[in-house]
This record gives sequence, C-alpha cells and structure tokens, in this order.
Amino acid sequence: MPRPGILRSAPRSATLAVLAGTAVIGLALTGCTSAAPTGDTATAVEGGTLTYASGDAEPTCLDPHVGGNYPQALVSGQFLESLVSLDSDGTVIPWLADSWTVSDDGLTWEFTLKDGVTFTDGTALDAAAVQANIAHLQDPATGSSTGYLALAKVTGTEAVSDSVVRLTLAQPDSALLESLSQPWLAIESPTALERSQDENCAAPVGTGPFIVDSWVKQNAITLVRNDDYTSPPADAAHDGPAYLDSIVWRFIPDSASRYAALQAGEVDVIDNAQPDTITQAEASDTIVHLDAPRPGASNRIELNSGKAPFNDAAVREAFIRSANVDDAVASLFQGSAARSYSALSSVEPLGISRPDLFDYDPDAAAALLDEAGWSEKDSDGYRVKDGVRLTVVFPVSTNQSIPAEQSLFEQIQATAKETGFDVQLTKLDLSSWYTALGSNAYDAVSAPYTKVGPDVLRILFDSAGITPAPSGYFANHAQLSDPELDSLLAQASATNDADTRADLYADAQDIVLEGFYILPLYDQQNHFLLSSAVEGARAMPTVSTPAFYDAWLTS
Amino acid sequence: MSELEIQVAAGVDTAGGAKTAGRGRVTAVEVIAGLLAALLIIAAIAPRLLAPGDPLAIDPRAAFGAPSWTHWFGTDESGRDIYTRVVDGAHDSLLIGLTATVIGLGLGAILGVIAGTLGAAVDFTVNRFLEVLFAFPGLLLALLFILVFGPGPGSAIVAVGLSTAPGYARIIRAQLIRVRSSAFVEAATVQGLSRRRILTRHILPNTLAPLLVLGTLGVGQAIVWAAALSYLGLGAQPPAAEWGAMLSAGRTYITSAWWMSFFPGLFIVLTAVCATALGRSIERRMRHA
Repeated sequence: MPRPGILRSAPRSATLAVLAGTAVIGLALTGCTSAAPTGDTATAVEGGTLTYASGDAEPTCLDPHVGGNYPQALVSGQFLESLVSLDSDGTVIPWLADSWTVSDDGLTWEFTLKDGVTFTDGTALDAAAVQANIAHLQDPATGSSTGYLALAKVTGTEAVSDSVVRLTLAQPDSALLESLSQPWLAIESPTALERSQDENCAAPVGTGPFIVDSWVKQNAITLVRNDDYTSPPADAAHDGPAYLDSIVWRFIPDSASRYAALQAGEVDVIDNAQPDTITQAEASDTIVHLDAPRPGASNRIELNSGKAPFNDAAVREAFIRSANVDDAVASLFQGSAARSYSALSSVEPLGISRPDLFDYDPDAAAALLDEAGWSEKDSDGYRVKDGVRLTVVFPVSTNQSIPAEQSLFEQIQATAKETGFDVQLTKLDLSSWYTALGSNAYDAVSAPYTKVGPDVLRILFDSAGITPAPSGYFANHAQLSDPELDSLLAQASATNDADTRADLYADAQDIVLEGFYILPLYDQQNHFLLSSAVEGARAMPTVSTPAFYDAWLTS
Repeated sequence: MSELEIQVAAGVDTAGGAKTAGRGRVTAVEVIAGLLAALLIIAAIAPRLLAPGDPLAIDPRAAFGAPSWTHWFGTDESGRDIYTRVVDGAHDSLLIGLTATVIGLGLGAILGVIAGTLGAAVDFTVNRFLEVLFAFPGLLLALLFILVFGPGPGSAIVAVGLSTAPGYARIIRAQLIRVRSSAFVEAATVQGLSRRRILTRHILPNTLAPLLVLGTLGVGQAIVWAAALSYLGLGAQPPAAEWGAMLSAGRTYITSAWWMSFFPGLFIVLTAVCATALGRSIERRMRHA
C-alpha cells in the first residue's frame, strides 16, 4: 500500500507565514477565511501555487469517463471525487457516499449520499446525479472503457430518495466498491454532463477541492481552489477548502528536463521519476521521494496468444525463458524496482507469485523451440520454421514506458536474440500505439492497467476482453481465451466469501502464469519527487494518484 | 532551410570571390577533414576493422561505465560499448546522409531545370510551389512526411531528401539563369546553334557541375537532420546504433553519464563539419581549376 503521505511539523509562526505568503504571491483570497486548524495540520500554511510537472501523456479529454486512462486519473483526482475511497489498509471508506448497504443476494446496493454537497457549478449532489453519471459511463457514445468495464454488471439505477441511490446488478459483484472508488468512476455534475462532449472534456465539473480554470493545450492546466468545498474523503487530514490557492499542472514529457525543473525550483512536484534521478534525489535534502506502486496488474509483457508464433504455449515459454529480466532490472532500476513474478501488483493481497516459472534459462528455451519445430536458424541467427522467421513485433508506447523501461525492452530483445527470436521494437506515440493494438499488429506488448483489487484479472484475461469496449480499446492483450479461466473469474467476482474468493483468484492466476501468457517485470512504477517545501501531499490509496487537498507550501 | 540556403548560396554564388589563399596547396583543414572522411568511410563500410566488438552485445553488469581503457567512450545503460556503437553508427548516418542528399539534389535538379528552361509560365508555377514549401521549416516538412508514412530509417531518408529539395531547386534555377545569360551562351546563339544543343552542350553542364559542391555541403546538413529525426524517435529504431538515437537515449542520463550523449553528438558535429570543409575545398578547387 502507498505510504499515507508526508506530514512534518513546521514552526508555529503560521499566521505570519500566511500573511507573508499571501502578500508575496499577491493572489486574492476570494472571501475565504483560513480553515479551522485541527489536529496535526495546525501549522498548515494557506495560499500559494503548487506547480506539478507530469511526464505522462497530456490527456485529450479531462473527463475520465471518456476512455479512462492513468494520465486522466492523475489530474482529474484534483477536481472530481468518487462515491467511496480506500484507507491505507485497503478498507473501503466513505467519500461522497456516507454509507451503503447490500442485499443478501448481492444484487441490490443502496448508497446514501453525503448531505449538502454541491458541484462547483451549483448543481446539488443527489441520487439523480449519480444515476446520470452511471448512465453517462454506460452510454456507448461516451466512449468509456475503464468505467464501462467496471460497471458491466450494473443493469439499473433508481433514486430511492433524494439522497439514496439504488444500483441493481445482473450478478453479484464482489469488486463493485473497489471499482467505484476509482477516479474513472468519479461523479460529475449532471448539468455539466449535458453539455457537448468537447465542452465537458475541456472542463469537467465535479465536487472536488479544485476547479478547472483553464487548459492551454501542450502546456498546462490551471486549477483553482474550490472555496465552498465540503466533501473530503473520510481519511483526509483536515476539513474545509484546500490550503493551496491553485495548482498549475504542466506537461514536461522529457524526464531529464522534468527533474531539472524540480531542481531549479521551477516546479514543486514531478511524477514518473527516473531510477537514476531517484537515486540522486534520495541523497538530497531538498527533494523528497514518494514511492506509490500502482494497484491492479503488475507491469508485464503480454504475449499475444491469438496468433502465431505465440499461439503455441511452448514458444511463449521459450520467449520468457530466453529473456534475461533480472540483470536488466538490477542495472537499469538501481534498486528502485523489485522484480515481480505475479500477474498482480505487490500491493494486492490476493496476488500470487511464481518465481519458479520465470527463470532465465536460454538452454531450456532453445530446447523448447527445437521441439516446437523452430529448429533451423537463418544467416542472421534467427530461428525459422517453414521459411518464416521467428519474429516478435513489439510496439512500445513512449508515453507509457519510461526510458529505463524502453532500455529494458532492448535488453530483452538482445537476450532473446541469442535464442533466435527476432524482437522488433517500434517506438510509438500513444495514438499510433493504440492503432497497432487495435489492428492486432503486435505479438508482445507492455500495457499498464491500473484497477483497485484482483478483479483486474477479469478485465485483462477474461475472453470477453478480446472484444473492444466502446472506446475501441480492448484490455485482453494476451488474447487469452480459456472457458475454465472465464468461469473461475466469474465465480470469484460473484462470491462474497473472502476465502473462496482468494482461492478462485489463486487458481485463475495459476492458469495465466503457467500458460506463459505474460512475462511479469515489476510493479507499475509510480515514483513522485517533491520539493521539501511541499507538505501534506499524499498518494491516494485507491490508484496511487497524487492528492493535494491536504498539501501546503512552507515557503 | 534558410541556413543551408545561405551557406550554399554563399559558396556557389560568390563566384570569383577573392579566395587567393592556397589555390593549389593542401591546407591543414583539408588534411584533417580528408583523414576523418576516410576513417568514417572505413567505419561505414567495414566497421569491424575499427571496432571488432558487437555493437548490440549487452552486459547489464557493466552499465553506465565511464570512459576507460576497456571502453574508450564508456558504456551505455545496457552495458554496450559506446565506441563500438559510434563506429557502427557511421554506416547508418552516412547512408542516410548520402541517400537523402541524392534524393534532395535529384528532385531539386529536376525542379530547377524545369523552372529554368520551360519558359516563364512554368518558371512562375514552380517558383510559387517552391515558395509554399519554403513557408514550412524544412524539418516540419520531414515530420509531416513521417506522420503520413510512419517512422523508420526509410521514411527518414525520403523525408530529409524531400525537405531539402526546394533549396536545391532554387539554387539550381538561379545558376541556370545565370549561365543562360552568360557571354558564351550568347555567342552560341549568335552562331545559330539550336536551342536544344545550347541547352545540352552549354547550359546544363555548366549548371550541374556545382552540384558536386552542393551535394558535399548538403551531406552534413542531411546527417544532422536525420539524427534529429532519430533523436525524436522517428528515424532508426532500437537497438540500431544510429547517432541521433544514441544521443536521445543518452539525454535521459546526461547528469550522471555524460559520455552517453557526448560521443554520438561529437561525431554528428565532426561529420557535418568534415563534409562542409570538404565541400568548400572542392568548390575552391573547381573555381581555380
């Protein structure tokens, strides 16, 4: 689980600092008095602008209902909120919903909403608003993939009263609360959702501590404080509006420039920190490292079992045995990432790890290929069968893989070549990469998938995931189609008995791992570097996105 | 584009410029540039002569090694020997540079000759077309081409070639018009030679000869551009040891492993300077021949 944030004590002269900070920065506080100090946030300083530099791709739409990827979640978490959240132990806690009940058959859920919450456009948060959001997510015209898949079992909604909304399910869903805690299922103003998709994408309206003020494409999103904010999650460190006046959300794709901007004090927080800069930062007094591995799937290479050559399990195993991942991870990540042998993130309690399956063993790989009929080699040293070279087309998204990871793929390419695989890496921008996946023009791919809980296995490996969602995205890149696995995942998702659920997910993971459909690498890396002037920032325990509601600047 | 244009125009059009220095003598710059060019050509044709190792052989345990006796230029993030990769990269870089220049010059020559010989209407049309192309920075044209045809070394070559063509076309056209109005062409006209004969025997040979100079000068530029495209991830694909791609890979580690970007960068600069120096020297010799 991610660390619950970094709070340190600061001098008591907070009032002075507030005045000084406000005067220096010269930003008007719109009729808002400082929040009543409570508990250990007594020293929090109000005001100031925090500059965040993201290395993730700039979203094309700020509404995470549309599509639903991690870059959207990173920023939308600042202005949109979900029905529930998780605390640092993984327990579901109230957020926009105060409480909830589920019927004995698991098919009816009722959520009671927090009182007196309004969206930043003045619309009230009520049962009808939640209904409108679920309808929006399920509307094919929205083009949702993450939210759409998470709500697959929800067949109906009903406003029991103004503040109670009822969801009806086709089958029990043990992952419903985990799904609803994610930023991709955040609740937006129904009034705002009625606008055109373009308008809503440019400035979604939520209940969050900040409001989208402006968005200069290719440059920055400016978020300003919501002075009427009343709805922090149950584990927040304070009540009332956020401390910061505004957040400038910049996009600096180049990792070296991003780190240089942090060192120069030009930005206060960066994400996607590189292993070598993490090492440097840890030795520094002015930069703090926040390591928050993402939940859901581990970072892995998925092998496309839907077509040759990886439709043959022996060839998949040979590829996995021929790839020297351990040495690569050790040298490239310099201790900032631990090798994974699991389909799930190490923060998922139900993940199982199978180191025995992923040993680097080129001799075994060669023997497997000989047996599978790939016994001849051409003049370049690559294996051939019936005149066809053993080629692995591997599109790499430069937006989703940091340079160290791209180098890791090159090292896998080099070691797999020794066994006779011709791995063809192609670096692509995000949209070309989606196109390559959509047209089935890949044999191997590394696609991050973040979701709270082991239900991510159903998204990634259920045969239904081969069919694209309305957005055109499909999540089952391994193109794994196994009725037994489908059945295990369906049962696991339908049971509310914790032990049965754990057993079913363990069996499901065994099928995935023993079938050599994936080559696990490490957890989805999520390293933030913060200037030591930033206090109170944390990563959300849901999908490890940064939260600046409790954050303030010391100078 | 303008850079090349000015550079080349200055080289070609200041005909008879007072360059009295060393008309027949071999200068030190020429010797150094010649030696370097010879080394680069050897590296491009037979890289194993200069660097016997495998440019793609990884050794993760030796990653990020500083320059040393075993690894003259250090090692990269995968423990590959940078000296071997720089030597190996000469092939791709020179090939891209030369081919792109040939494409650019060829296209430019065709456009220039058409504009200069087929009459005012054609000249006007071609000129307006070239002006439209000039309105885009050359690299933007190249990016546009790659966007349409996808990244890779092949499209990088064509893209650089295409985007340098307008500059060449304009220079060739100017040269052609200058030759056309020269005294010896007038004399040929007075003698009653046919238009076609004047064109093929007098105008074209005198117009196209400076192409050698233009080409040599252009190779340096083309190499820089091709490296720029690879730097942006649009040219050579991993694990190819292309200089631009190596520079790009090294950029991430520039604070901790400067040698990863320094040596590929140095060779891009050296090659471009070397090609320019040779081009100037050929130009001077042709003037004084």
